[in-house]
Amino acid sequence: MNKVKKIFIKLGHVDRRYIFFAIALSVLIPLLKPSWINIPIKTTSNSETVFNELNNLNEGDRVLLSFEYGASTKPEIHPMSIAFLQHLFSRGVKVYTVPLWPEGLMMANYALDEVIDSKLFNVKEHIDYVSFPYKAGGSIVIRGIATDIRSIYSQDINNILLKEIPMMEGINKVTDFDFVIDLSAGMPGNAEWVQYACDEYNVPLTSGCTSIMVTDAIPYVESGQIRGILAGMPGAAEYEQMVFKLLNNTSSKKFMNENISIVPGKATSRMSAQSIAHLLMVIFIILGNISYYLIRRSNN
Amino acid sequence: MYELIGVWCIVLLTLSIFSYLYGDNPFYKVAEHIFVGVSAGYIFTITFWDTVWPNLFGRLFPKYVQAGFEFDIIYIFPLLLGVFMLFRLSKKYQWLSRISIAYIVGMAAGLKFYVFLNSNLLAQIQTSGVDLSGSYSSIINDSLILFGVISGLVYFFFSKEHVGTLGKISRIGIYFLMIKFGASFGFAVMGRISLLIGRFEELIEFSKPEYYYSTPVILIIMVITLAYWSFRANNENKENVV
Repeated sequence: MNKVKKIFIKLGHVDRRYIFFAIALSVLIPLLKPSWINIPIKTTSNSETVFNELNNLNEGDRVLLSFEYGASTKPEIHPMSIAFLQHLFSRGVKVYTVPLWPEGLMMANYALDEVIDSKLFNVKEHIDYVSFPYKAGGSIVIRGIATDIRSIYSQDINNILLKEIPMMEGINKVTDFDFVIDLSAGMPGNAEWVQYACDEYNVPLTSGCTSIMVTDAIPYVESGQIRGILAGMPGAAEYEQMVFKLLNNTSSKKFMNENISIVPGKATSRMSAQSIAHLLMVIFIILGNISYYLIRRSNN
Repeated sequence: MYELIGVWCIVLLTLSIFSYLYGDNPFYKVAEHIFVGVSAGYIFTITFWDTVWPNLFGRLFPKYVQAGFEFDIIYIFPLLLGVFMLFRLSKKYQWLSRISIAYIVGMAAGLKFYVFLNSNLLAQIQTSGVDLSGSYSSIINDSLILFGVISGLVYFFFSKEHVGTLGKISRIGIYFLMIKFGASFGFAVMGRISLLIGRFEELIEFSKPEYYYSTPVILIIMVITLAYWSFRANNENKENVV
């Protein structure tokens, strides 16, 4: 028994670099050998709400897609952006992208390029989607979009005047959009969209955000101020799966090119690595607590 | 060719940042300084050309800055406030920057006060109530949330000593707060692991022959350099002790 105790106490003093190495392996192995570990993904009610809300949109409805993330949070949010664009384009919805972070412009362009280059959808700029440039100000820009979008934006990212873009006709404020989707990794993020625009003007809002933001955003989801939420990479994987099923099974492929194969998104393939790393973390926490308890008792 | 240079830069900077897990070292320092410099430069440039230039100068000098806006004299005030802000660098006229700061603080406080009251306070109070017309499970769920809110608030009520019933309720409040912190920690771990997965995925991708095995090559060079650097640092320490 004493030997076991000693092992646990020694584990408590192990060099943290071994733990880093173990975590690195737990992530690396499932990524290198995805066939070894295959953990099924179950959809949660929050992700289903997001999917159902967007699935209820009609052809020609207008959706504002706000990009508030950068390279540092790309692995979590970017798969959501692509899945959102695929879902919206598959339903013939008009998309308006707004970057509120300096890097958001790059992320919006990457996401649009990826979806357009896949040639899965028959979409054209200024007819099916329009991209706004970055404007500094964060929550003030959101307030501006809520009250008078043309006081902030006069051109799109290609310096085309908004009055010359057909799909900008009748778009003057946030109430002219049928839905707002927020992709956020910090501030400004979903809280600012709730506070400065959607709550006051009663425009439906949903969000895909980083895991770390979820506990702060959940009260808005519970109150219905945000309609469902995609929580980090698991949320992205769940939504990807629902969109993948929809694109494969949909009877009406009016807006899609039928000869192009549909591939599942990146978040789904990353979930095995996520699950194994979490399992290891749990084991480390349990071992750490046992060791801490034994050290404290032996000191007493 | 440019893509290849970009890929090698990505791998070098990623591995340099990861090298901090071994210990503070020159690779990490260089990557950190590049990150800060590039971020500041990028944000300054994009803010000036995408916001200040079209939205401010485009309205004050529409003939020269054709951003699609019409002349609007009122934009002279933001320009003045912006210039005042730069006087922070002058000892003599530093006081002018306080006017700009006062405007920003006043405007932001006024706006935030209203939106916070509307969306966070009133809306959250409204939804914290128990809907007695709902199902049994929803009534239990709502009651639990209401009790959690009240006990959590009691924990932060410092006008009375936390003894007796008040102490017990505040103790339950702590448990609710602990659950919240636990959930936040769990989500934070999940987020960090997700980012690690993202980096590893790119490193694996860039290990392929079409990128000239950039990841293994840079990793080996880095490990050798760090080992040499560590060996030299140890020797220097020993000499200093002697």
